[in-house]
Amino acid sequence: MMNFGFKIAPSATINLDNVDMEKFTLLHEMEPDVYKCMACGSCSATCPAGRFTGMSVRKVILDLQRGREKEAVRMLKGCMLCGKCSMVCPRGINTRHLILSVCRIYNEDKQ
Amino acid sequence: MIGMIFILTWCTVGMIRIIANLPKDDRKRFFLSLVNPKIMLKNIRDIFCDCLFHVKLWKRNRLLGYMHSSIAFGWFMLIVIGHIEVFFYAPHRAKLLYFPIFFRYFMAEDDSTMGGAFFFFLMDFFLLVVLSGIALAIVKRVHSRFFGMRRTTNPSFMDLVGLYSLWSIFPLRLFAEGFTADISGGSFLTESLNHVFHAFLGNHMNMLPTWWAYSLALGIFFCALPFTRYMHIPTEILLIPLRNAGVRIRHPRKGYAEAEVYACPSCGVCIDACPMGVMKTHIKDTTVYLNRQLRRHNETRIEEISDKCLLCGKCTAVCPVGVEGDRLRIAQRSARKYNISPDYSCIDTDILKKEASFRAPASGKVLYFAGCMTALTPQIRKSVESVLTRCGTDYEFMDRDGGICCGRPMLMAGRFDAAEEMIAKNTDIILGSGADTLLLSCPICYRIFRENYNLGKMRIVHHTEYFAELIGSGTIGMLHGSDRYVFHDPCELGRGCGIYDEPRAVLSAAGELVEAEKHHRESICCGGSLGSLTLGFGKRQAMTENALHNLTAASPDSIVTACPLCLSTFHRYADRPVMDIAEVVDRNMIPADSNDIDD
Amino acid sequence: MKENIVIIGGGIAGLEAAGQLIRLGYSPIIVEKQDHLGGHVAEWHCLFPDMTPASDVVSRLTENVSEANIFVNTEILFINHLKDSYNVMLSNGISIVTRIILFTTGFRLFDASKKEEYGYGVYDQVITNRDLEQWFSTGNDDRVNSRELNAVGFVHCVGSRDEKAGNGQCSKVCCITAVKQAIEMKQRFPEAQVYCFYMDLRMFGKKYEDFYISAQRDYGVRFIRGRVSEVSENIEGKVIVKAEDTLAGKPVKVTLDLLVLMAGIVCNPDCTKVASMIPLQMDSDGFLKSRDNIMDITGSSRSGIFYAGACTGAKTVPETLAEARSAALDIHNYITSSRI
Repeated sequence: MMNFGFKIAPSATINLDNVDMEKFTLLHEMEPDVYKCMACGSCSATCPAGRFTGMSVRKVILDLQRGREKEAVRMLKGCMLCGKCSMVCPRGINTRHLILSVCRIYNEDKQ
Repeated sequence: MIGMIFILTWCTVGMIRIIANLPKDDRKRFFLSLVNPKIMLKNIRDIFCDCLFHVKLWKRNRLLGYMHSSIAFGWFMLIVIGHIEVFFYAPHRAKLLYFPIFFRYFMAEDDSTMGGAFFFFLMDFFLLVVLSGIALAIVKRVHSRFFGMRRTTNPSFMDLVGLYSLWSIFPLRLFAEGFTADISGGSFLTESLNHVFHAFLGNHMNMLPTWWAYSLALGIFFCALPFTRYMHIPTEILLIPLRNAGVRIRHPRKGYAEAEVYACPSCGVCIDACPMGVMKTHIKDTTVYLNRQLRRHNETRIEEISDKCLLCGKCTAVCPVGVEGDRLRIAQRSARKYNISPDYSCIDTDILKKEASFRAPASGKVLYFAGCMTALTPQIRKSVESVLTRCGTDYEFMDRDGGICCGRPMLMAGRFDAAEEMIAKNTDIILGSGADTLLLSCPICYRIFRENYNLGKMRIVHHTEYFAELIGSGTIGMLHGSDRYVFHDPCELGRGCGIYDEPRAVLSAAGELVEAEKHHRESICCGGSLGSLTLGFGKRQAMTENALHNLTAASPDSIVTACPLCLSTFHRYADRPVMDIAEVVDRNMIPADSNDIDD
Repeated sequence: MKENIVIIGGGIAGLEAAGQLIRLGYSPIIVEKQDHLGGHVAEWHCLFPDMTPASDVVSRLTENVSEANIFVNTEILFINHLKDSYNVMLSNGISIVTRIILFTTGFRLFDASKKEEYGYGVYDQVITNRDLEQWFSTGNDDRVNSRELNAVGFVHCVGSRDEKAGNGQCSKVCCITAVKQAIEMKQRFPEAQVYCFYMDLRMFGKKYEDFYISAQRDYGVRFIRGRVSEVSENIEGKVIVKAEDTLAGKPVKVTLDLLVLMAGIVCNPDCTKVASMIPLQMDSDGFLKSRDNIMDITGSSRSGIFYAGACTGAKTVPETLAEARSAALDIHNYITSSRI
């Protein structure tokens, strides 16, 4: 890469046309409830890991649908699988299974 | 004959394989235990009690116990006495393995054997015992309710081959010995049968075919054995010394796990025990079927079955051979590959340490770890705090504003490394706090703290135990009311940690204690367990309602439990108050100080 | 016209329907379980969006039914299905044979103690929307400390849109009720911080949006988009509420002097009991099932049985009144058409 002395900021827009939903479709097959999330934030509020690591199931679900895999994976690494999120979810989403499924389908970005 | 050789080689190879697959230290422990006379005695006793007499089955269900022990012990005695007979009357032949089995075929009655009428009687007696067992087995196949079993295992094809050949062995032996009774001698059974045969079949023409049929049935049974559930007979003999040597499941498939899988007799006791059994769709997800799929290496089903389970441990508790359904499943889960692995290095324990530390460390301090789930049931936290305050206990919260998970839920998902990381962080916080007692409110935490944490001299107690002690020592008095309480044994507290008497002592002090239909080790999981990975919220309702139905059999005024998860699960569907034991104590307690004032 | 019409429930729907039927020349019989008429509205302080005193509404409705037969403190023991009529047995020993029964059994407020994480019944500072209305009316509630009320929180959707609580439906009126109660709190305690924790704000009715804007602009009520998931208590006896500010994407924590739970609307269990005597079908949302949810909301699948008000789902006061009138007209048509 040539150094022009300035940087062009990457687009701040999430372009849904470019989001690869292949893995998410697989995730939806494994845990169909993933589309039930209404983003109430109960899971994030109650999450003990959230206090330390910024883990939020709501954001993981959203980020994965918006093609922001890296952010989702970073958050998931803090999950302690304690199950509080599944206790408080008003839609009864099996969040623990969802998290484990994400850990199987998506990859850690190793650089 | 072929069957015999085949089975012996198979068993030897299998045994070597299992032992070879044990981790090194376990193997060493196993061999050492074999020469330890104390453990050896226990081994022999256990083998007799479990394999031959089926003592555990007797305790659960007498009829079932009789059925199994009659066949096993009867057959065993037939073999033993058969050998003794041979030893006595044809010692030169005793080395031949097949001889005692077909003794009557080879032996002609003469003066010397006449003296063996006593043995003949024994042989006939045990043959009768076995036959009665077989008859019961046939009844059980047709009508399992007769045995108090609602459901029984659906046998596979090979199981059926084994089953029918086993069933036919003994009647055929009876016929065969009956035909030859006048030649080789017999007793009340064979001899009288011989008379009957004589009445209409005057010659010994039928003798040969029946003996052939008998030996054929025997051969088929032994040849089929490794592929049927009857493999449990030899495997159990290996499993018992392994267990007594302290060997545990380390690998999902090899070693001890394999021994357990093959030791499963497919008796189906776990089917009725399983809390998921209330829904017919879950019957094939019980431990019997897990073992069958493990033998067949059906990976898809293994994953399904092991992920669905609530890990309540009831199948382990009732299993007559000691197959650990819950541990076996956790081991299967641990074999799974994940692409994202947890990393808690960014968790700053310093904040938590500061929150949890006592200002002036001294003895007698209590560190209270409420646990994640308890944060969602404020009544438990409030009651425990209230009791501690009123007792004047010096306590500090470890997770007032949320802490690090104990690691048990992660462990149950089979991700041991991540759980270890949490255990290390929590250990660090606890040991640095200066407390000498760790008080817990959640049995899930309690179990992992007891089993997987190394906290040195620190005492680990659940609030049930703690309160029972306070009441027992007279530190707090209880107002005895007229309320009727039923106690629900949470899986992790009861079956998991063996705490049964303490909560009952507390409740008896507070009011009248009634028991559920099934209690103690037989208690039914509330359905809210974290153990299951795949069971969604909607599918658990039937289990909770079934558990509630079981609890309210004696129509108690309120249901009491000692687990935040059970509490909120029951609260959702219960038709009467559901309380934690801490609430009962808080409501009924009279602090010792006020007693003094009264005096 | 000697035609018995039994109205089960003396709430606003029952009163309005009875009033209309009297005008049409019938003499309806109202059966009310409680000791007063007006149901839930009678326990309310004032109504959105014009802050109309609830007692005015109830007394006007009650005036219209002075000619009706009213049994208070009376329950339905059983209902027998006769050939083309029903025999209704009341707990006061009276039995009525009628061709027409109107269900105005209404709703029940969700039992907030079932959402144990909110600590209703555990923490003294946690009350429900009904408790607050009663405090507005009477001023008697030990849990509300008027001298020290610096921060108040409202939790929307307690027992609504919540499968764990057994009610997946939106209760429709809680959002606007919370806005109304938040404004009332601000009117009484202008210095206090008032927070509304919501999942989605549903301002669907006439002038509701104006009401919401007014709460934001004129009263400074702070709306936080996030469902409360945990409530704990600090050493000073105040409650700490944990939620996620989903718009900021960060967990929030706030210390409050009073927490009001907006308990949702669920079907009245007594209604389910009476409905099972006939029996009437229940819909998948747990309320009575109408013959058609668009064309015939007041009709049941059985001849002579009619519905009005919240027994078929959460409704506002004007909606309930309109339905009651419509049911009265349906009953009138039913009687006149069968007479020909």
